[in-house]
Parts: sequence; C-alpha cells; structure tokens
Amino acid sequence: MKKHSATLSTLGIFVILAAAAPWLVGDGGVALLFEVLLMLTMAQLWNLLAGYTGLVSMGLQCFVGLGGYTTIFAANTFSVSPYWVLPLAPLVCGLIGAVSAPFLFRLRDAYFSISTWVFAEVVAMLVFITPGLGHVTGMTLETAREIDYETFLLANFWIAAALAAGVVTGIFALLQSPLGLGLLSVRDDDVAAASIGVNVWRNRFIAYVAAAAGCGLAGGISFMAALFITVTTAFDLNWVVAMIFTVIIGGIGTLEGPIVGVAIYYGIRALLTNVFALSGSWYLVTLGAIAVITMLVAPRGIWPFIRDRFGIELLRVSRKLVDDLPHAETTAITSKTTANSRFLDYGSD
Amino acid sequence: MGWTGTIVNGVLLGGLYGLFGVGLALVFGVTRIVNIMHGEFIALSAFIALGVSSLLPDVHPLVLIMPVVIVSFALGYALQAVLVNRSMRLPDPLAPLLLTFGLSVIVRNLMIEGFGVNPRHIRQGDFGQLSIDVFGIPVGVLPVVTLMLAVTLFVILQLLLRRTELGRIVRATADNAEIVRLMGVRPASVYNIVMGLSFALAGVAGLMLALRTTFTPFSGVERLLISFEVVVMGGLGSFWGAMLAGIALGVAQLVGLRLNPNSGFLYANLVFFAFVMLRPNGLFGTRQ
Amino acid sequence: MLLDVASLDAFYDDLQALHDLNIQVERGESVALVGANGAGKTTFMRCLAGLIERKRGAITFGGHNILRMPAEAIARRGIALVPEGRMLFPSLNVEENLLMGALGRRPGYWNLQRIFTLFPLLAERRRQMPNTLSGGQQGLVAIGRALMANPELLLCDEISLGLAPVAVDQIYASFSRIRIEGTAIVVVEQDVKRAASATDRIYCLLEGHVTLQGQSRKLDLEELTRAYFGT
Repeated sequence: MKKHSATLSTLGIFVILAAAAPWLVGDGGVALLFEVLLMLTMAQLWNLLAGYTGLVSMGLQCFVGLGGYTTIFAANTFSVSPYWVLPLAPLVCGLIGAVSAPFLFRLRDAYFSISTWVFAEVVAMLVFITPGLGHVTGMTLETAREIDYETFLLANFWIAAALAAGVVTGIFALLQSPLGLGLLSVRDDDVAAASIGVNVWRNRFIAYVAAAAGCGLAGGISFMAALFITVTTAFDLNWVVAMIFTVIIGGIGTLEGPIVGVAIYYGIRALLTNVFALSGSWYLVTLGAIAVITMLVAPRGIWPFIRDRFGIELLRVSRKLVDDLPHAETTAITSKTTANSRFLDYGSD
Repeated sequence: MGWTGTIVNGVLLGGLYGLFGVGLALVFGVTRIVNIMHGEFIALSAFIALGVSSLLPDVHPLVLIMPVVIVSFALGYALQAVLVNRSMRLPDPLAPLLLTFGLSVIVRNLMIEGFGVNPRHIRQGDFGQLSIDVFGIPVGVLPVVTLMLAVTLFVILQLLLRRTELGRIVRATADNAEIVRLMGVRPASVYNIVMGLSFALAGVAGLMLALRTTFTPFSGVERLLISFEVVVMGGLGSFWGAMLAGIALGVAQLVGLRLNPNSGFLYANLVFFAFVMLRPNGLFGTRQ
Repeated sequence: MLLDVASLDAFYDDLQALHDLNIQVERGESVALVGANGAGKTTFMRCLAGLIERKRGAITFGGHNILRMPAEAIARRGIALVPEGRMLFPSLNVEENLLMGALGRRPGYWNLQRIFTLFPLLAERRRQMPNTLSGGQQGLVAIGRALMANPELLLCDEISLGLAPVAVDQIYASFSRIRIEGTAIVVVEQDVKRAASATDRIYCLLEGHVTLQGQSRKLDLEELTRAYFGT
C-alpha cells in the first residue's frame, strides 16, 4: 500500500505540473516539453521490449512513421480534425505489429534485431511508392488550418503528457502484475521460463504489440503537431537510435532509467546547440560516444549506478526471493540471475 | 537490354553483395557478434578510397586494393582489441551488439559532418564505362572485375581457413572458445585477427562500391542490411552460401529496379524475408 | 614436487564448490581422483587448467604459483587437460584436432607420427570428422591432442564416461606408454577399481572436501566407501 500511495502522489504531482506548464514555462518551454514527453514515451516502450522482454528492436521507427502517416492521411481523407483520427494510429500500428510479430519472432537475438530494421525499411519503401501518400514531397495536414496555434500547441502538449503518464503508469502496473512477472522471467531465461509454464511467446507478443501501438500513437501526435510528414522524417532511423541511446545511458531494464536518459539527451542537446553551436550530427556523435562509454564503464546505465551507490528507490519493481528456501537452491537461483542481471537490471535485491 | 541482360548483371552485382557479406559472416561465425559497424565501414572505405584517389590522380584505383586491405585490417584489429573485446567480457550477449550499434551511429554522423551528404563517386575515366559483349549482352568490365575479385578473395579466405595453422586456430575458436584456451590460444587475440580480416574485406568492398556507383554517408545502412541478408540467407558457417545468396539478392535487386525504378532495395528485402521464413537456417546453414 | 595444491577454495558465483583442498603430485607419478557426482572432481581439474576464475589458496606447479594464471599460459607451461566430454573441435578433422595440441611447440617425445603409432586406429581415420567417430575413438583423439603438447602433467577428466569397457581398456593401456616419458597423470574416475589399479596414489572427494588419500595398492574398500558416500 505504501508503494501505491507513493505512485499515486508522483502521478498527482505530474498531472498538476502538466496542467500548469504553459504558465510555468511559456510557449517555447511547452514545445520542448512536448518533444521530451514523446521521447520519454518511446524510450519507455523500447525499454519494455529490450529491458523487460529481451527483444532488442532496431525497427520501432516503423511504427512511429506509420502512426504519423495514418493520422495525417486519415485526417485529410475524411476531412476531419486530426484529433478524431488519432486513435487510428495505435490501432493500425498495433495491427501491423501483431501481424508481423509471428514472422519476426522466428528469429533470435541479433537476427531479430536487424530483421526489425529491414522490416522498417520495407515499410518505409512501400509507403514511399504507394500513390496518394505524397512520395518524395510528403503530405501536409490540411485540416489543422482551422485550429488556432495556441490551442493546438496546448492540446498536443496535454495529449503527449497524458500518453507519457499513461505509458509509464501502465508499464509500472504491468510489471507488478502476474503478466509482468512472466515478462521478467522471460527476459532472464526464456528456456527456464517456458519450462515452468510461462507462455514466452505470448508475453513477448503482447509487449511487442503494445510497443508498436504506443510508438504509433507517439508518431501520430508528433507528426500531427508538425503538420507535415515525409518518408525520410517519418521512418528516420534516428528515432530508434534516440530510444536506444537514452535507455542505454539512463539504465536499461529500469523504469527510472529512460527518464534519466531522456533528461541527459535533451541536456546534451541544449548544451551543444546553445553553448557550442554545433549541428545535429555532432549531437548524435556525442550521444553515441556517451552511450558507448556508458556501456563499457557502467553497463547497467547511469540510474542503476546512482541508485546502488546511494540506495535511492523511486519506481522500483523489485522481486524479493523467498527466504525459507534451502541455502543451495537460493544461491543457485541468485547465481543465475546475477549473471544475467549484471547488464539487464530489474532491481534485484 | 532484355531480361537476360538484367539477370546477368544481377549476378555480377551479386559478386559485390557477396563481398559485402563475407566479412560479416566471418566475424559472426567466429565471435557470434553481428558487427553493425560493418556497413558504415564499407561507406567509410569508399570515402577514404575517394580521398586517396584524388590525391593520386594518375594511379588507377584498383591499385589501391593492397593498401586498403592493410589499413582496414589494422583498423579492425584495433577496434576489436580496444573496444569490442571489452564488451564481450560482460555476460550479456546484447552488449557487443549495442556497442557496435553505437559505434555505427558515431561513424555515420562523423561522415555526415566531415563529408557532407552529396553523392560521391570515383572517376576512373573510361574504365567505369567499359563494357564487353558477351553473347550479345553488354556486360560492364567493372562488374566482372568485381565478381572475379570477390571470388578470388573468397578462395583465399577458404584456403586460409582450411589449410593454414591460423585457419585451424580460427575454426577451433569458433567451435569452442573455452577449450581452445587449453591449447594455449587466447580467444581475444583470435577475435582481433578475425575482425581485422573482416574489415579488410569490407574495405575492398567499399573501394569497389566507390568505383561502381555513387555513395553518401547514408550508404552504410543499406550495405549493412544487404550484408546481413547475405549472411542469413547463405546460412551460418558457409561462405559459398553467402556468395550464392549475394547473387540471389543481386538479381532480385535489379529485377526489382526494372519493375519500379523507385523501389530502392525493396525487392531484395522482400526476397530476404520470404527466404528466411521458408528456410530459417539459410541455404547451407550448419549452425543456428 | 611437481604440483602442490594448498588450501584451495573454488566458487561458482556464490556457491562454494571446493573447500580447503590439499593435493600433491610428484613428477612422473600417477594419481587418481575419485568421488561421486558433484564431489568437485571436475571443478578441481578445471581449477588446475585455469578455467575457474573464482578461487583462492595456492597452486604451485614446477615451482611457480599458477593460481592467477590464465588458462592459455598454464597450457604453455606444461599442463594439459583432457576435458570432461572430450570436447573435440567439430569443425576440424582428427589430424587437425591433434595438431591443435601442438600449438605451444613444447619440446618432447610426442609428435603426430608417434601419436599415430600409439593409436593406430587414429592413423586410419586421420581425415575423418569427430562426429563420425565412436566415443572411444574420440577419447583417443582427445588424449592424443593433450599429449601433442608434451605436457609434464596430464589431466584426464572422466575419460571412461559412456565408453565401452574395451575402449576404456585401450585408453588405460596407453597410460603405461605415456608414463615412460615421465609425464605425471591425474585421472578423475568414477570407477574406483579401475582408478586404483592404474595409479600410484588415490584421493577421494566428497562435496568439495578431500575425505581420503593414500596408496592405491593399500586401499581399504570399506574406508573408501565411507569416504566416497560420506556415511
């Protein structure tokens, strides 16, 4: 119960801050926070896949792009405000995720990862050559012209905030549930998990579809706000690059990790653009260098490093081992999980 | 040019694709790591070849093959020794994958900053346009040279692996890296050499790419995906399978471009997916 | 003394597998290590070969402390392990597997030709792949591979496991030839009788402790049974 009230109060604070943001940070701040919240959502989703299910995706940009195209295409085709068709984005992406998962799941580890990348490229190319989607020139969101700028900005911001809060809370709740325990066991050792009756495939499937839908919605919101979409921006590899880097730096397999990672991501960007006046590519180089160094020096990420140093606990989803197991069994279990969780961490005690 | 011509040229293109893939196959077969930097290094090689070629305008670019091999080997060796081996000490198999992913992003963006996004190409006077008539089909000399080069390198690699002591050591390390230590072999040293060889092959591939077509800092991504597809379709542990896979993809690519000039690598990718679903172990897969 | 192990503790992560082991082997001696499954025999062998990271105590070989030495270095110093399960390299044929043993280029009696003389069966099959050989034949290759290193100490871990008695006979028959060169041998065995008849001294392990040691010829069966099963 204590954990729940802590969660609720955190959520409450977040809601209040989000509501008050426009008056606290002004338009520019809101626009930046909008980006940050979407980035956080996507990072949490990538982390759900890689950190909690062991599926390292290099193709989530596929759903970001599809979500964007779905939203803008539907809004233009039905001549409605994009807010009405926004729910289509997660629907379409969830569907395509569900359909592609059985195929992609046949492959393991690195094979899976790169195949998701190939899949994203295939989808991008299909969108590119499909008539009616703008080809090289892209598509503009026609039906947003009626909305005034201020309302548009705020509405999008609050939707993004709601999405971020929803995803984080959802993942938190998921991991506390039996399904969540199943996910963690799959991550640690899928053969062992299967042998005790955990439905490995189903757990991964649910996580994959959720990530697809979530990224689709994030993409829909992002491109709706941008009013314009091209294949290059929609299916840009750098979407998933950012997800991967933020999670690796922040702390893979923890809920706080992506939050820390996103903060560092935007902090570095501000530093490089404002102080050093460097362009986007240098930013990625710096971020990449930090990610590489983090992986070699503090492989579990910055958050676990800090947490273990100072013993702080925020959103930990921990699992205590039963104390009355005979010593040998306990040590055997911890030795296995220690080996795996040195890199992927679920807050082992 | 009829369909026959397209297919013939697809086969020749397959030589280049096979060359892309064999370096990746070698590394994966021995270390179990997919080197995501592989594609970026092919692109980087192309840029370096371009640079050297413009410094030495009177030297034919094909002469550069030996220096490219040596420099690339050294770079690959150093990369493995300094960075990748370190990531392999961690128990997590994702670590090297994510490390090479991070490195690939760094290299790609450094190339964007350093060389700009405009397409480049090595001018070789008439050599690039030379073509000969084979049974009425115009066939580029450069693609034929590329295919011959690829096959030659393949054969050298096979001889190295099958007939030399170093080759024995590499194959044994690929089989069982722990037991090979009992014979006095340091697996990390073997990995260094293998990565060096892989980079050397990628370097030559980059050089041939630069001669054949235009390239940008974004060319690496496409080459990685092709390399990966070649390795997977060819099957683990089989270099000739990789060669055949390269040819299959080359043909798919050109046929696809003929059907829709704007389709990029779509058809090659689709062939890959279809193949992998039907035969997950690849053409001659010996290990999964 | 060729090998002097003192107060050896070994761990698999948090689990302690060996407790305060004291074991000695003289030059040219043959020693048996017996015990039930899980007693720690293989762990001990792997410690000697340098494959176990977490250990403390002292392992002195030929006057040098090899406790912290990596396996590659230990191999070059003259310890050769025939691992449990034989562990031949599946991608290499018989001859290539044997040649792998000679990488250290240590001087000594054994070379490819002499291994083929010791095991004529292998000469006929020199180009065959390991998976086409029987378990017994694979065992011969594994021993041959270790001998090619001209070791001072040969460690044989459960080489008779899963083999027909005829094959095991052949392997043990080769030991006398091996010992002529002055190589010390440590044999891990579950078959106590076989172990006792082929060696000078015997140690018994139980749950990571030495529970018995003595001359093989003077072995008291009752005492050994107690030491083996811990009753």
